[in-house]
Amino acid sequence: MKTTSDFPSINERSPDGVKHGGGAYRVLIVDDSMFVTKQISQILSSEGFEVIGTAADGVEGVEKYKELYPNIDLVTMDITMPKMDGVTALEHIVEFDNDAKVVMVSALGKQDLVKKALLAGAKNYIVKPLDRKKVLERVVSVLG
Amino acid sequence: MRVEYINPFVESAYSIMKEVLNAEVKRGDLYLKKSSQPVMGVAAIVGLAGDVEGRVLFDMDEKTAIDIASAMNGEVLTEIDDLAKATITELANMITAQAVTKLHDLGFRFDLTPQAIITGQNMRVTDMNVEALIVPFELPQGKVEINVAIRERA
Ligand SMILES: [Mg+2]
Repeated sequence: MKTTSDFPSINERSPDGVKHGGGAYRVLIVDDSMFVTKQISQILSSEGFEVIGTAADGVEGVEKYKELYPNIDLVTMDITMPKMDGVTALEHIVEFDNDAKVVMVSALGKQDLVKKALLAGAKNYIVKPLDRKKVLERVVSVLG
Repeated sequence: MRVEYINPFVESAYSIMKEVLNAEVKRGDLYLKKSSQPVMGVAAIVGLAGDVEGRVLFDMDEKTAIDIASAMNGEVLTEIDDLAKATITELANMITAQAVTKLHDLGFRFDLTPQAIITGQNMRVTDMNVEALIVPFELPQGKVEINVAIRERA
């Protein structure tokens, strides 16, 4: 179909996951739940983000971040995880890279931990259950 | 009701629950229920409409639903809150979607209607003019019954 070039649409926009200069934002998902990891991954991939890594606990998350740095734009960080929780992992990441963009992912009723994470350098947070609009809104606000 | 409708649901339920819960799942024996049955406390329901019509019910008690939602999310949930409801609904949706793909491959044509979740004690479900086939699954979190009532459109 050639119609798009003949009739440029005013609704056309580039997907949220693509940088202004082209190329996808690169994301690391840290979560002990395969189900949640998949949900986040599907939402972000559908908007053109590139999920370049996943980690199932805080220790692995910190390791992966260091491995991927500086070719990484964003981290989604679960709070409740085995081995090392998300707030501690966040602290390690921020210590390593003061400009790290980390968005916390939390269940309801963890206000104290979310507050602690924001004070420690998290840029935003998302409360589960996840919905597409909410996830994209929060992620874009951090990258913008 | 034709038994061939239920096999795709049983296969999908087995493989998806095993995957998302990362646990041992045991299938019990299929049985038939009469037109009115009690449900256990939390039931996700998905409707089918097309060449065939009916509904699939994912039935479990409250504690089982909370424990499944906790396991799936990597959280410790204590009540049937929004996250628990969304998670059980999504589980039902994943299982149904995969089963429907299999049924489409077998040549059946129908769509899913938006799913719903109902919670409460002393509930019954009544299906008019169609029997329900039930397959129980034993999980570490408790028992989940997949309850399928489908008929060909008259
Ligand atoms: Mg978790």
